Amino acid sequence: MSTLEHESAKYHVTGEAVFIDDMLVNKELLHGHVVYSPHAHAKIVSYNLAEAKNVKGVHCILSYKDIPGENQMGPVIRDELVLASGKVTFIGQAIFLIAADTEEIARTAEKLITIEYKQLKPILSIVDAIKSGRLIQPKRKIENGNIKKAFNSAPNIIEGELKTGAQEQWYLETQVALAYPGEGVELLVHSSTQHPSETQAIVSEVLRIPKNEIEVQVRRMGGAFGGKETQANHVAVWASLLAFQTRRPVKIRLFRDDDQKMTGKRHPFLTYYKAAFNNKGLIMGLDLEQHTDAGAATDLTMAILERAMMHADNAYYIPNIRIMGFAWFTNLPSNTAFRGFGGPQGMACIETIIDKIARQLKKDPAEIRNINFYGGEGRSETPYGQIIEHNRLNIIEEQLMLSSRYIERRDLVKQFNEKSEFIKRGIAITPVKFGISFTTSFLNQAGALVHVYKDGTVLVNHGGTEMGQGLHTKIQQIASLEFGVSAQKIKVNATSTAKVPNTSATAASAGTDLNGMAVKDAIFKLKASIALLVAEEFNNNIPTSQPETDDEDIIFVNDNIYDIENTTRKISFEDAINLAYINQVSLSATGFYKTPDIHFDREKGKGHPYFYYSFGMAVTEIELDTLTGFFQNLRTDILHDVGESLNRRLDIGQIEGGYVQGQGWCTTEECKWDDKGNLLNHSPDTYKIPNIQDIPKDFRVQLLEDFPNSVNTIRRSKAIAEPPLMLAFSCWLAIKDAISAVGNHEIEPEFSLPATNEVILLSIDKIREQLN
Amino acid sequence: MKKTNSHIISFVLDEEVISIDFSGEQALSPTTTVLNYLRSLPNHKGCKEGCAEGDCGACTVVLAKEESKKMRYWAVDACLLFLPMLHGKQLITVENLGSSTNLHPVQKAMVEKDGSQCGYCTPGFVMAMFDLYKNYSIPTNEQIDDALTGNLCRCTGYRSIVDAAQSAGAKKARDQFSEQAEVKKMLAGIHANNKKLSNGIQVYHKPSRKQSALQLIQKYPKATIVAGATDVALRVTKNHEVIPEIIDIGDIDELKAISANKNHYIIGAGASLESIKAFSKEKLPSLYKMLAVFGSKQIRQLATLGGNLGSASPIGDTTPVLIALKAIIVIGGKKGARKVPMHEFILGYRKSQCKAGELITEIHIPKSSGGAQIRSYKISKRKDLDIATVSGGFRLSLDKSNMPVELMLVYGGMAEVTKRAKKTEAFLLGKVWSRKTIEQAANLIAADFKPISDARSSARGREVMAKNLLLKFWTETNN
Repeated sequence: MSTLEHESAKYHVTGEAVFIDDMLVNKELLHGHVVYSPHAHAKIVSYNLAEAKNVKGVHCILSYKDIPGENQMGPVIRDELVLASGKVTFIGQAIFLIAADTEEIARTAEKLITIEYKQLKPILSIVDAIKSGRLIQPKRKIENGNIKKAFNSAPNIIEGELKTGAQEQWYLETQVALAYPGEGVELLVHSSTQHPSETQAIVSEVLRIPKNEIEVQVRRMGGAFGGKETQANHVAVWASLLAFQTRRPVKIRLFRDDDQKMTGKRHPFLTYYKAAFNNKGLIMGLDLEQHTDAGAATDLTMAILERAMMHADNAYYIPNIRIMGFAWFTNLPSNTAFRGFGGPQGMACIETIIDKIARQLKKDPAEIRNINFYGGEGRSETPYGQIIEHNRLNIIEEQLMLSSRYIERRDLVKQFNEKSEFIKRGIAITPVKFGISFTTSFLNQAGALVHVYKDGTVLVNHGGTEMGQGLHTKIQQIASLEFGVSAQKIKVNATSTAKVPNTSATAASAGTDLNGMAVKDAIFKLKASIALLVAEEFNNNIPTSQPETDDEDIIFVNDNIYDIENTTRKISFEDAINLAYINQVSLSATGFYKTPDIHFDREKGKGHPYFYYSFGMAVTEIELDTLTGFFQNLRTDILHDVGESLNRRLDIGQIEGGYVQGQGWCTTEECKWDDKGNLLNHSPDTYKIPNIQDIPKDFRVQLLEDFPNSVNTIRRSKAIAEPPLMLAFSCWLAIKDAISAVGNHEIEPEFSLPATNEVILLSIDKIREQLN
Repeated sequence: MKKTNSHIISFVLDEEVISIDFSGEQALSPTTTVLNYLRSLPNHKGCKEGCAEGDCGACTVVLAKEESKKMRYWAVDACLLFLPMLHGKQLITVENLGSSTNLHPVQKAMVEKDGSQCGYCTPGFVMAMFDLYKNYSIPTNEQIDDALTGNLCRCTGYRSIVDAAQSAGAKKARDQFSEQAEVKKMLAGIHANNKKLSNGIQVYHKPSRKQSALQLIQKYPKATIVAGATDVALRVTKNHEVIPEIIDIGDIDELKAISANKNHYIIGAGASLESIKAFSKEKLPSLYKMLAVFGSKQIRQLATLGGNLGSASPIGDTTPVLIALKAIIVIGGKKGARKVPMHEFILGYRKSQCKAGELITEIHIPKSSGGAQIRSYKISKRKDLDIATVSGGFRLSLDKSNMPVELMLVYGGMAEVTKRAKKTEAFLLGKVWSRKTIEQAANLIAADFKPISDARSSARGREVMAKNLLLKFWTETNN
């Protein structure tokens, strides 16, 4: 059972899987086109649409003046315009929308639009933003212990700054939506969105249509990774505006370069740090200032910053700590969710600090990590007050150090480097502790709607969306286990706001935790009423001498329903369903779930925001050519805690994919902007995600066995998805270890993220200069 | 038998001969890409657009053609292919391999090994894997990596996809493409004659002979020449240019030959980079090294050396090594053929010796380096399927006292054209080829070049890279 393949795999491999751009639409379909700003900051002095509107085949051109409702699509804070009015604040900001018979006609029309701009000075980097003093939202603070005292008594202090770069989500399917007008104000929107309910809400507000007139559907996304959590709303709203205006179906699919230019990325961070530690390397105090580039709108920035602050400790107990968080306005597209959601940016800094402490004390970083791990007497409180329970760090470390033969290989690496001047090897072990739940507590809720049809087949609707992670497969599996029927009888439906209302985004790795429980709840209700009926049926057919079946003893297994006390009393699932129908018993039920026991007080920076933590560790060994900067990932060993795995195949796929995506962020994926605010890496020509040659030559992924989740999650599983991305710090720091070997580990290498071969070579060049 | 017709193209899709007459077409033009064509059909939506520039492979399809009585199969990016390039070939898409109820062995392996997550890149991987399946009995890991370098996946981390390729390769069975008798017949009925395809806005010439190509080029000196179109196609897909006149020399067999005379290897300008890669593995290892990291297999099976040289790109991955190899470019024109040494061929940014009305026909590479050591290097952000940040083609002959008597340090990516490091070379000539002199010489790189900062690297980064490559060359040539 735990080996179900992805429910859509056979459709993926044959091209039968339908993505939005593949939908067969009638000839009335119009192509939506977005005219966006070429300037990072400018006043729109005037514009003229007349000539463009006259192009044959153009059906309408809309500006902000044509928006029936609010010109707002900010998901949390209302600071993001649907269409620019009067002023543009980043390159890629939508100004006009064109609906035309073909994309070609729309582009012809676009060329005929004239806009006169007056240039204004843009803010294009975190450093400039700090100078400008323009915070996008008030700063945040989390504090614990007494850092002043810690620094006063510390024998060692290190200070520095760390830059981590933006990362483009690079979902293979670019942002896309298809809107169909119905009768009256009805609108059906097919959207590649992680958050159909929010897409529905924003379409509703912008078009001034009640939500019950709008249905948002998503069968599957061609990847999302956070990039379609809020920013899928944009194309959906634009397509809806055009469809509403023209009364025809309208599709908008962003061209790759436009998608990369227009949409937000993983937030770049600049972190200033100061750490106090004793001579063993035990961290006594940490003072952090996290500065992030929000872009031109808030979007999810504050939640991302919050998670970065709450993951600044990663797996380490820090008795005295102060974390300040600053989110700055810049004239760049609003940065947004990306797998890890601030977690990676928070962790990168503490991992750097540990690495530096080790170098300064001439110890193996693995040793410094070990002594600083959470655990032991009085070493379990996080900076925000939650106590780490059911800590798996030690068991994972113990098992992984052995299975990866870390100590032996560390020695082999040393020997190799002694004999090799230009090719150096490096190795590193890094941990991940990741809090599971939305930190905005009320978002931790989910709904489901389960139907059983007369032929005994089941249709499951839930609020989660499928983006490749296998959520629907896990849900299919949960439904199959709960109903005791084979998985072939279960179909998970395309997600629709018409089936399950008011859902949360499929995000925060919580898709299965939340929706799985909601589905279970619905099935529980259905089983209860079926069991009553079946018990009655059994009792009607037994001699009075035999004990009666109690409905509490009814079980659902192997496509049958039994009395557990007397298994000769049985009825097939299909017959029971028929019986229920004839007896006028409802075969449809809703389910609901809310995560218990979580709360967080933002003002105080204290609470119990996470239901539980996910843990994992990785060891990576790399080989670096110090003259070209090319590295080869020789071997990666991962041990990850998924509780009781719901589906090993999917979980391993998530871990491997997450690691490789993290390796991309740490190495070859670089976003650069010119001094006008133009993104230079706006296509895969210059934006390099890992390809098949970049993955570990030897990739060993294990799941931690025999540690079911200690809190009551669906079948005692743990979330996957985000945490493995951060295991790639082992690759990043293995590269640094190899660079460090050039200076025999006596010189602290300059290092940042991503460690492109340029960064690597410049760092080595500096070390070589110091050696000479 | 199909009547030959010079304004119609014909190819096989779904086991049917499809003919397109552009003169009567509204929706399709001669520069419509195969990707857009397939996506306009109701039953070929498996071919996905991920980037429209040949960097992601989501639109990978396989072409097939009978060659010496056997069908040859090769994967290409449909986004880089203009419709007329299909003429006389079979186009195979993911839908032709199998259906969800009847999977092809490659598709089955992808399902069993969890090679798909979101599924968007998957049809492209399946098709690249189908090329692998058809061309190697049991592929090695290196062949698998090479065949799938042109396909990006953002979900899986690729390990499962490698497993699928191994599994499909190990359990090889006959498939519906093992015979293809009907298709062979259909293809035999399509004539390889000169084509002039026009829709009133564009004219697309597709000569079948070298002589006709040369005549056309003289007649239409302003026409854009394409062979694989891996560069020119981007003008259409990314800049939405309507190219008025095209001469497509991609199907001229005379230009594809690779042979040798007494002193030279002779490489047809139309030979695919993939075939040159195979040829050069033993014979010209420095050229092979560059081709092994040039684009992807899908791109190399379309792209030609003539095209790479003709574009005269400032980076031109093959240019530095061809200069170091002392290659000679043969240019055909009105007055017959003329020969230009490679180092004189490139004149400036995207400008070469090949003038309007002329065509690169052959590249001659000396068989012997006369004792010189030749090496090539490429630094790019990502090792594979990336354009060079800095590249190098170096040539060195040492005398008995270990001093260079001949030295060429040719760099790409350091200036607006491929350029020799003249000052550095001058410094090194006549000095002992030692680490010390190399390190002194490396400081002169800054005097030779003033590189730019761009999306790929800062100027300072490029300078360090160029310096390092010199040192790397020394580590490989000092005895």
